[in-house]
Amino acid sequence: MNIVVTVKQVVDPNLPPSYISLDAAGRKIVSPFGVQPVMNGYDANALEAALKLRETHGGRVTAICLGDDGSRGTLKRALAMGADAAVLLNDAAWLDLDSAGVGHVLAAAIRKIGAFDLVLCGRQASDTDGGQVLYWIAEALGLAAVCPVSKIEAMEGDLIVHRLMEEGFQRVRVRLPALLGISSELNEPRAPSFKGTMMAGRALVPAWKASDLDLPALQAKVELRSLEIQIRTSSAKLIEGESAAAKGMALANTLHAEGLI
Amino acid sequence: MAGVLVIGELSEGGLARATLQVAGAAASLAEALGEPLVGALIGRDLARAADEFQCGLAVLYLVEGAHYEPYGADAFMDAAQAVIEASSPIVVLCAQGAPAREWVPRLAARMQAGLVMDCSALAIEDDALIVTKPVNGGGVLARFAVRGKPRFATVRASAFQPRALEGRVESKRLNVALPDETRVTVLSEESATDSGGPRLKDAKIVVSGGRGVGGPDNWHYIEEVSAVLGAAVGCSRPVADSGWVASSHQVGLSGTSVAPDLYIAVGISGAAQHLAGISAAKTVVAINNSADAEIFRRADFGVVDDYREVLPGFVERVKQLRS
Repeated sequence: MNIVVTVKQVVDPNLPPSYISLDAAGRKIVSPFGVQPVMNGYDANALEAALKLRETHGGRVTAICLGDDGSRGTLKRALAMGADAAVLLNDAAWLDLDSAGVGHVLAAAIRKIGAFDLVLCGRQASDTDGGQVLYWIAEALGLAAVCPVSKIEAMEGDLIVHRLMEEGFQRVRVRLPALLGISSELNEPRAPSFKGTMMAGRALVPAWKASDLDLPALQAKVELRSLEIQIRTSSAKLIEGESAAAKGMALANTLHAEGLI
Repeated sequence: MAGVLVIGELSEGGLARATLQVAGAAASLAEALGEPLVGALIGRDLARAADEFQCGLAVLYLVEGAHYEPYGADAFMDAAQAVIEASSPIVVLCAQGAPAREWVPRLAARMQAGLVMDCSALAIEDDALIVTKPVNGGGVLARFAVRGKPRFATVRASAFQPRALEGRVESKRLNVALPDETRVTVLSEESATDSGGPRLKDAKIVVSGGRGVGGPDNWHYIEEVSAVLGAAVGCSRPVADSGWVASSHQVGLSGTSVAPDLYIAVGISGAAQHLAGISAAKTVVAINNSADAEIFRRADFGVVDDYREVLPGFVERVKQLRS
């Protein structure tokens, strides 16, 4: 079973808003100096799912990432976790693409990689929170797409997966080849092994640019107008008391006086 | 090209309240554009929802059929595309949530149209659709111009109010063929095993626990408070990821957005992606043993102490006040 996993390098989502900043043009969220960007969390879940499927069914796992040269860090991490190969998609023309454009580039790269049974993507990226790129890939490749997937139950020629609904989930059978958008309920991504990290350090990560791919003309559908960091300055009115239990009682009194309970 | 189209959703046989909230936002766009407001419903039995879809619609499209239950993306996409082709809207709106977050982006890709999901504000500027959306877990607000024919947006319903508008000239039924698609087959549907109680997204009071609760053995503290207040139970993402409670309880950007009058956050640090899900909560109370927790910047009232002692005192006093 050959699997392509799309990964994105993002600003650490656990940083509070007061730590992040925007680039000079105000068009990108950037990490503060000295804080390493990370692999998007849902993409790490997707990679873990791919590695588990490979352990059971064999095949090859290829990680691809659209980003600048710095995104090699995330691809090295994918290799350290166990991916067989990694490809960076790096072209100055791609750095301001919308979801449609990113989807077209990733789809063209997947087509170039060739024989695959499954494309796994995180359900959304934690920086843009867009949740669209995977569908543009699926549409460009003519694949069925199921998202968000919380469990891969079985592989019986077809895949049996759980698709999260508003309350509960559906068990669905998916014919391969297909694309799945992976959610965090599915697994806990492994930490890279020491040996994996050593090997990834030496591995060469090829970079493909626009001239390496068979791409349609990319026409923006969505244009970013502005970004604005939300800094919260207000702070809560603290309820005091002689003991924790007394504070609890005082809280009840306050909320009752406010007509809230 | 004409009109602003709202594709509604059903909830327990009737119209989802979220649809009327989205229609409220859509009506303002339609006024700004000088265009009619158009509605559509897709589902198995639309009679009640169609009656309840009263919000100044000029036309309501109905696509009815047994094959819309259980949900499948291909059937919904084909139905929505038929409505769009029949009505040629400028803008198509839909409430953010499952299953729209799956079939709407796929349809936008199929139609090569622009889409922004989970929008908290919508405007028309010089004929362009301008949307505002929280990104980076809600810590940053992004504004986008959406292009294409039509322009799609999914909307955070809790950010908008329904509007009482007269209207409804006609209903139009469309018959849409079954997709010949068999790549994805629904085998069964399982609803989250729930203890009853109010639904998270409609609840007036929500009590949520986070990682600071410490583990599933302590979860009864959260349930005791929610029981005495008649509140819905929520949780933060780490709690759902760890499996302490079903992920249907998760509040936040990748879970449910809530809009209660009172939100009580216990042991929740206040990650941006959680705060994004409570942006419409009116009053927020935080209980956390770390005074530095980010949640205290969002909260109206805070208690800095061990929740395992705060909550029993709180419950006891609530019972006294009620008796």
